[in-house]
Amino acid sequence: MTWVTWRLYRYQGVLAAALFAALAVVLLITGLHLAQMWHSDLASCLKRSSCGNLSLNSPVLTTLVVGTSAVPLLPGLFWGAPMVAHELETGTNQFAWTQSITRRRWLVVRTGWLLLAAAVLAGAVSALVTWWSGPDNALYANGFEANKFDVTDIVPVGYAVFAMALGICAGALLRRTLPAVAVTLAGFVALRALIAQWLRPHYMTPVAVYYKLTGLYAPNGSYLSVSQGIVGPNGKPPVGLGGYVFNGAPVPTVCAKVVQNPAPCMAAHGYREYLTYQPASRFWAFQGIETGIFVVLAAVLLGITFWVLMRRDA
Amino acid sequence: MTAVIETSGLTKRYRRVTALSDCTISVPEGRICALVGPNGAGKTTLLRLLAGLAAPTAGGAVVLGGAPRQDPAYLAKIGFLAQEIPLYRRLTAQDHIAIGAHLNPRWDGESVRVRLGGLKIALDRPVGTLSGGQRSQVALALTLAKRPRLLLLDEPLAALDPLARRSFLAALAEAVAVKGDGEVGGGLTVLVSSHLIADIERVCDHLILLAGSRVQLCGDIETVLAEHRFLTGPRKDTTAIARAHAIVQEDTTARQTTLLVRLNGPVADPAWAVEEPNLEEIVLGYMSQDDPADGTGPEGARLSAVGEGR
Repeated sequence: MTWVTWRLYRYQGVLAAALFAALAVVLLITGLHLAQMWHSDLASCLKRSSCGNLSLNSPVLTTLVVGTSAVPLLPGLFWGAPMVAHELETGTNQFAWTQSITRRRWLVVRTGWLLLAAAVLAGAVSALVTWWSGPDNALYANGFEANKFDVTDIVPVGYAVFAMALGICAGALLRRTLPAVAVTLAGFVALRALIAQWLRPHYMTPVAVYYKLTGLYAPNGSYLSVSQGIVGPNGKPPVGLGGYVFNGAPVPTVCAKVVQNPAPCMAAHGYREYLTYQPASRFWAFQGIETGIFVVLAAVLLGITFWVLMRRDA
Repeated sequence: MTAVIETSGLTKRYRRVTALSDCTISVPEGRICALVGPNGAGKTTLLRLLAGLAAPTAGGAVVLGGAPRQDPAYLAKIGFLAQEIPLYRRLTAQDHIAIGAHLNPRWDGESVRVRLGGLKIALDRPVGTLSGGQRSQVALALTLAKRPRLLLLDEPLAALDPLARRSFLAALAEAVAVKGDGEVGGGLTVLVSSHLIADIERVCDHLILLAGSRVQLCGDIETVLAEHRFLTGPRKDTTAIARAHAIVQEDTTARQTTLLVRLNGPVADPAWAVEEPNLEEIVLGYMSQDDPADGTGPEGARLSAVGEGR
């Protein structure tokens, strides 16, 4: 069955390898250039905490790297969704499932290799991107931000496994390739956005810091900002007359007479700025939690797929 | 003679429709059995149940000594060819031979090469580019390469032109004729569904007639032919005949009555002219008995057309 799986996917496998090689060449060449710049110029200026307008890379490359967040979706879309659906559509499952092999074995072997292929592809791209992003992340200390977090280290592997499981499950339930592809695409994008936006900042209780108005505060290293704003001495945001705003918060009633420059008045009345964030030290914990969530979801989807396909008539 | 297929009360219901109802049949070893009946009669359902692709709602089947199931040992003994001739269209016949070799314990890939070579069918072209007849031949050869003991063929002739039909049936007959595979033991039994009674009559020696999701006839074709007669006589009461024999179909015009009867002995009344029907006429008689619309419906029309063309 392993050989059969290889025979059915060898062209797609070669194509995927070729695309990966092309990406690797681009990232290796530019990445080596980056590393060189980093060591010669940037490391020294960063020590002085001032690198001026120095920029490490072009917008095109940045877009390409951010764009690799689509990579984990592709195997699920092109291999996962058709895996069962295309067989059911063309009836070839009747050929496959009347050879001297059980449906379970057919499913286990094919699903297993596809999951592995998706994980390896996403992992390899992620490894490249992680290496490439090293200097950039060090310079801007933004490795924890959504666009970087999503394409580096281990989370892309979790995404790829999930996308593959979603594709296979959608194909098994819908029995049509095109709707399965659409559901995989929509489901993956929606869930990724939902989790990155709403769930990820709250994997752990964020750290809160308070500092004086008009002051500046930046946590060490790359952090994930959860919320920021102004609170009064009672710990609640200011309530104002409306119309006048200072740093995104309404100017409180007590400072109504100095709305043009309310900061000294507000500070005098105990108003402070606050920031809640996930510190850089939690990066790997967050990578682990997010990967775990997607792997568990994938396991549930595969469980449904097996249950449906083993019970239902071919 | 031992029965290769033995079903009792086999029933398959989908959400609303009953595809097969209380099907009790028996097919002896070594037979080529024709499975005939109108569209929706349950032929495909029966074949899929026997192949283990579907599970029955009620009743059971014993095929080659066991229930049809998802089990390598069982599947190795069954050759199933679905109606749409499902093959991987982008793969070549050669690829399919290799796939079969990986998935079957008693695979005879050489036989496929020989068979297709004899028919001058390219082994190295994607099967999607072959003609319908060639694809059917490839699929049959692959099914036979499993060296099954029971071959289940669902409408293999439907998409074929008369020439391809003849060559397909010849290949089938030849496969059955080559008996005595020592390793397997016992001959090949075939259950083949088709609308084209005139065509399969030449190779089949057993008949199962399904109509309205029920078995109407199951038996040796010679016996079936011997048991049925057309009785033509002046228009009159048929209760005397009905008491002695089973009237399958009654056709009354102003002047005369024609009956298709299943005999229970000789016809005593000399008023009836006795005629031997052919298999197709018998089958049509049963089909129109079950549902009066069938006689004039597309199914009946198609069968008649085949009969006239012969």
